[in-house]
Amino acid sequence: MDMHQRPVDARTFRAKLEGKSGKQYWRSLEELADTPEFREYLLDEIPQHTRSFDILSMDRRRFLTLAGASLALAGLSGCRWLPAKKVVPAAELSEDRTVSIPNIYATSVIEHGLATGVLVTSNEGRPTRIEGNPEHPASLGSNSSTVQATLLDLYDPERSQNVSEVNQGAYTISTWSNFLDTMRAALTATKDGTGFRILTETVTSPTLTHQIKTLLAKYPAAKWVQYEPLSRDNVLNGAKAAFGQPVNTLYDFSKADTILSLDADFLLSMPGHIRYSRDFATKRRVRSADISPEDPKKLTMSRLYMVESCPSITGTMADHRLPMRASQVEAFARAVAAALGVDAGAAAPAAVPKDWFEALIGDLKASSGTSIVVAGEHQPPAVHVLCHAINAALGNVGKTVNYTDAVESQPVDQLAALKQLAEEMKTNDAVKILLILGGNPVYTAPVDLDFARRVQTTRLTAHLSMQEDETSAACKWHLPAAHTLESWGDARAFDGTTSIIQPLIAPLYEGAHSDLELLVALTEPMPNSYDVVYNYWKEQKPAPDFEKWWQETLHDGVIKNSAFPTKTFTLSADAAKTATPAIPGAGQGLELLLLPDPTIRDGRFNNNGWMQELPKPLTKLTWDNAALMSQATAEKLGLAPAVGGLTVADNKLVELEIGGHKLRVPVLCLPGHPDDSVTVHLGYGRTHVGKIGAGTGFNAYLLRTTAAPCFAGGMKVTNTGETYPLVHTRSHHSMEGREILMEDTLEAFLKKPDFAKTEATTTPEIKEGDDKQTQVLENGEKRLSLYDAQDHEYKSDGNAFTYSWGLSIDNNVCIGCNACVTACQNENNIPIVGKDQVDRGREMHWIRIDRYYRGPISNPHTFFEPVTCMHCENAPCEPVCPVAATVHSKEGLNQMVYNRCVGTRYCSNNCPYKVRRFNFYKYTAGQPDPDKLRGNNDSPVLQLLSNPEVTVRGRGVMEKCSYCVQRIDLARITAKKEGRAIKDGEVVTACAQSCPTQAIVFGDVADKTTLVSKLKALPTDYLLLGELNTRPRTSYLARLRNPNPAIKEDAESDVERDTPVVE
Amino acid sequence: MSSATRRWWSNTVDIEETTIPGAHEDLVTDSMLPGKGHDYKNLGDRIAELILRQRVHPYAWLVTFGIGFMLLNVMLMSITYLLYKGIGVFGVNVPAGWGLDIINFVWWIGIGHAGTLISAILLLLKQKWRNSINRFAEAMTLFAVACAGLYPLLHTGRPWNAYWLLPLGPNILGLWPQFRSPLLWDVFAVSTYATVSALFWYIGLIPDLAMLRDKTTSKPLRVLFAMGALGWRGASRHWARYETAYMVLAGISAPLVLSVHTIVSFDFAVGIVPGWHTTIFPPYFVAGAVYAGFAMVLTVGIPVRAWYKLKDMITMTHIDWMAKIMLTTGLVVFYGYILEVFYGWYSGDKYEWAMILNRFFGPYKWTYYALLTCNGIIPQLLWSPKVRRSIPAIFLISQTVSIGMWLERFVIIPVSLHRDYLPSSWGYYTPSFWDWSMFIGTMGFFTVLMFGFMRVLPIINMFEMKELLFGNKHKHGQEAADRDPTHSHVVSMPDTAAHSDDHSH
Repeated sequence: MDMHQRPVDARTFRAKLEGKSGKQYWRSLEELADTPEFREYLLDEIPQHTRSFDILSMDRRRFLTLAGASLALAGLSGCRWLPAKKVVPAAELSEDRTVSIPNIYATSVIEHGLATGVLVTSNEGRPTRIEGNPEHPASLGSNSSTVQATLLDLYDPERSQNVSEVNQGAYTISTWSNFLDTMRAALTATKDGTGFRILTETVTSPTLTHQIKTLLAKYPAAKWVQYEPLSRDNVLNGAKAAFGQPVNTLYDFSKADTILSLDADFLLSMPGHIRYSRDFATKRRVRSADISPEDPKKLTMSRLYMVESCPSITGTMADHRLPMRASQVEAFARAVAAALGVDAGAAAPAAVPKDWFEALIGDLKASSGTSIVVAGEHQPPAVHVLCHAINAALGNVGKTVNYTDAVESQPVDQLAALKQLAEEMKTNDAVKILLILGGNPVYTAPVDLDFARRVQTTRLTAHLSMQEDETSAACKWHLPAAHTLESWGDARAFDGTTSIIQPLIAPLYEGAHSDLELLVALTEPMPNSYDVVYNYWKEQKPAPDFEKWWQETLHDGVIKNSAFPTKTFTLSADAAKTATPAIPGAGQGLELLLLPDPTIRDGRFNNNGWMQELPKPLTKLTWDNAALMSQATAEKLGLAPAVGGLTVADNKLVELEIGGHKLRVPVLCLPGHPDDSVTVHLGYGRTHVGKIGAGTGFNAYLLRTTAAPCFAGGMKVTNTGETYPLVHTRSHHSMEGREILMEDTLEAFLKKPDFAKTEATTTPEIKEGDDKQTQVLENGEKRLSLYDAQDHEYKSDGNAFTYSWGLSIDNNVCIGCNACVTACQNENNIPIVGKDQVDRGREMHWIRIDRYYRGPISNPHTFFEPVTCMHCENAPCEPVCPVAATVHSKEGLNQMVYNRCVGTRYCSNNCPYKVRRFNFYKYTAGQPDPDKLRGNNDSPVLQLLSNPEVTVRGRGVMEKCSYCVQRIDLARITAKKEGRAIKDGEVVTACAQSCPTQAIVFGDVADKTTLVSKLKALPTDYLLLGELNTRPRTSYLARLRNPNPAIKEDAESDVERDTPVVE
Repeated sequence: MSSATRRWWSNTVDIEETTIPGAHEDLVTDSMLPGKGHDYKNLGDRIAELILRQRVHPYAWLVTFGIGFMLLNVMLMSITYLLYKGIGVFGVNVPAGWGLDIINFVWWIGIGHAGTLISAILLLLKQKWRNSINRFAEAMTLFAVACAGLYPLLHTGRPWNAYWLLPLGPNILGLWPQFRSPLLWDVFAVSTYATVSALFWYIGLIPDLAMLRDKTTSKPLRVLFAMGALGWRGASRHWARYETAYMVLAGISAPLVLSVHTIVSFDFAVGIVPGWHTTIFPPYFVAGAVYAGFAMVLTVGIPVRAWYKLKDMITMTHIDWMAKIMLTTGLVVFYGYILEVFYGWYSGDKYEWAMILNRFFGPYKWTYYALLTCNGIIPQLLWSPKVRRSIPAIFLISQTVSIGMWLERFVIIPVSLHRDYLPSSWGYYTPSFWDWSMFIGTMGFFTVLMFGFMRVLPIINMFEMKELLFGNKHKHGQEAADRDPTHSHVVSMPDTAAHSDDHSH
């Protein structure tokens, strides 16, 4: 018997098939069976090898040999043949790489086409944590909640896993070869690509652009359309109107003394917002070095003026804020421009207090060259043009405002492009093949385009996405997309800096491919995205040391010096006079404003539990959106809720009607919202979404038209008489006159730098005769304790080094962006609990951002204060626990011993800060609603997400912030091995690491040289509920505002200061 | 009964001259056992009949027991569901970590207090009028403590680990519990209280069990009662030891009346929460407990005395006096409410004052007004002797007080918790279906135990009633004693142990 006569096996067979394409590709097994090899292959399970063996006539030895070999080979079927390539250098390489010590890789996360550089922690090949990449200009090591939330999307148990043929929303599992066969055949049939359209989201990726262009070169009649709902059309059109070409504007908030934001939420929504937050904070922060008693004027802060159509976190940071309907902003901008000497045409009188306006103009003039005027992305192009003109007039260009070429590979008016596409699709057969790469246009397209029907009636449609969504259901084919962390790619940041995206893990589901791979596979065999990206860059940088450059770039996560150079563009003379085409119904009746949701954005995070449960920064709403309006408007419409303090208010359900489009949505009053305007956030009310997103919120896209994608007037509101329960994590707005968040003006601070230190915010003084419960500290200071003096010895036994851990939170620069909340959730394996449980006050976040209002409900001051476990030295939780499950460490940590906890909840009752969270159910298993919550960490896929350094808590156990004790221990181990003390800055808690403004600083408070100690020594340092003598290790820096003294409305009286704002 | 049938457990016929301390206390009046025709035999028979002739139980018993049994099953279902799903089935949350679970715990414990007070303190104070009510008051204590005891166990997140609260020490658990926690003191206080109450109740039962043993004609019952009677023969030595043991236990129990609720109040007083952290709690809780306890004795006693025609044993005088105790303790409690408000203002502490304002004007204000009405205002009707002697009025007022005392715990626990220091954490507590089903279920548990008890053990202390009768009969003997001092000390003790009425002679 000749074993090697015909060396055919499954692998060679597969290779042969892979090489074929187009119509030659096999259609059925029968067809294939015609080949002699295959006939043979079909006959024998193990081709060639067993044919002549008759088990009955076999001798014992041969039988055993075969049996053994079969067993051994059977195990092989579980293996996958992947090309072994060492292509992933670690950012932090260690010679002694050990299992259980995570590796960290640099890569990028793409949002709206723009890259944010990140460092991803990989535990045994599982990405478990996304941090910012300090080398990346858009991140500087910080993070946003949405960037971190992409990690949860990777492990979404409801991700699509298969190529499917879709028929009227019914999915039939198919294969890539089936799809490619169909697609290639159809493409070949068009010859030059007539009727072929590629629809993508915003693209900045050089490689992807190159691939698209290559494809378009082959099919010249084909077209590439970009569309996403949160496009920058207004910015782009504004730039085109001003400069005649698409120009990218960069702002340098670190140099700005006066900022005027015309409805621009540059701290949360604009490209580069993480970076902008950092820059903004540098001009707001007060450090001891800045305070000079001789020359108090030396201390400066920037001053932010803001007019806004819906309260945003940027508005909360404003020193002067004016609520203004979106349609009025243009008139206001024109008035500002006119006042600054810009020929802006007819300046409509803006309804602005005179002193306010004059102060603003005065400040802007005074800080020529160090001011910024910035417009919101939903403001019409004219406002952007006016901004360019004002910045030019103020001499800011080249200083605080810089221009570069557009970052987008092909900057286009996306809405116009989509409109044109829809028109073409309407015409019979103009569009035959539509390939949608990412996005969810069927859901997000303006309602008047009737895009779903257009897609349904197109002959061949395919949608590449991670979820089976609305667009997938309308298409003929659904293709599973690979996650950013699963595939190679590249992208540009807001300033043009390019970075290579490297995967952290092979696609969890074998069928998933990236858009790059798919584009190549339309004409060639399915490639590996690595080859595509590698080859592209090799062409771009043909140098002998390309490999070195490649490795370095991957290591750093950015291509060095790839930021676009600053350029000078000529502002066209009459640009500022250009008026925007009239907004439909502008100025009539109620105005409707459509904005991206602060957490789930345009709907892309709709099935992301972290984002659904993350309280929106201002409303603290979770799991829903609402029609936001001012109290006065609600009262006028008879929709105001009864004044009361209940957690759950059944909100009135109204029907909004604009231009014949209707939407039923509940009303929520938002202090500071302009009157006669209603804001509805986009992204909710999806119909084809996973279990997390199902049944949440209301689809505002149903009110969005091509004529008015952002705002429009003439809306009708009808009370349906029904109510809808909106769930928020807090209901009480006021501080009740308690000194909980210390804030004052810069002026007051200069007069009295320690204004924040009051009886309420400091540890009580010792009085005569109080000796029994007195603690005498090492430095001789005496403190009175509510509890008996406990001699916590802050010394470690036997170790050479001792630490006293503490945290400082700077309320002055906390912008309330929630990045820390998601960071903590990710780092500490915190489960989501669902709307019903949030309703019951059982959300599990270990850090919460308290939001307080002060002042009139029409335009209050808004403050944020992040609250975590204070790690009190006299912790009220500790003595009341009957089983010693919460104890004090020698380093001052208030520790929670999960194993020991029986769950009496006494500690939580006795915690004055209410920072303890209780597992009322087995939340980590998705209870109480395992169907909806998808098993949370219990789901096999989601288990991959868990941080192995942190226990996953079970039912009936109390938990709370641990100061990221796992990170302290990691640093301790490293330091111990090196025989040194832990350095300042070596332990960074997850919240501190992600904070865009670096408002959170952690370290050793006993060592007076550490940053945290220096911050705590600042005069603005204060304790939350210090009067209770709990002696918290977490302290706060007071919030300072920098109002213009010329504006009277802000010179508030004490009466006003204490006026509670009731819901 | 002939001497041939006499068994070892039967009484001897010896009647010894016995010294009965306090038998001639002048508080024992005719009004405590009014009516004519009482003799030692029919008094014992009438009480024993409830056990030995089961048919005498009225239809009302069956209805009450039936309802109780259904509710008991509701409780069992609630417990099963709770253990299966988790503590989340209750309405508790953050900030209100405790809700109906702890309210009901404190409420039931409070109800138990009347039993101990009646049996121990009134005994020590030689208040003979307690004799007709002490047995079922003591039983009520035990059953209320049983209901209460369920809650601390079941309200924990992991009830299967609740034994970690026991001081099993390093040898078994590797760790002591945390002795600074009031919850641990609770474990000791409540378990001691339950143990001592059970002992006290049982010791008091022994002579009655012996009497039942002698009265019953059923052999198995006789064996059972005999086992319970521990060989009681009514010998003077037995009586002497009994009296000593009873007095010692009364001595041990008396401070428990004060300590248990004092310690329960520490659960709150030791906390830092405004509305909890107050030194007035121990006396105010004890008074409240006695208040609630007497209300419950009346709530149970009034129907029982009607159904079983015991109006001559549980008399209007009893009811009148219990009403007076309710009025007194109610006034103490009301004083506590007034002082809480005063302290809130006088302390100058903004959190304390905010807590008081929240009680008056907050979202739960109705509970506070209802509390003041139920516990403060309505019981003032008891100043009127007419009201004190009106059965419907007393019955309604008792229930009002029970509701009021429940509301008091509601006001203290969730109403204090839901709005404490940081307004950002303010929340709201709404009891869930399972909170209520568990609560109503424990009422069923209590009813089943109480009404079950009525059929197997004497609800009124037989021998102590005879003591009362003895006192009545020797009313004139009292006068004689004045003339002859020896008479009051050495008296002939006729069949106090019920030995001779039907068997021995």
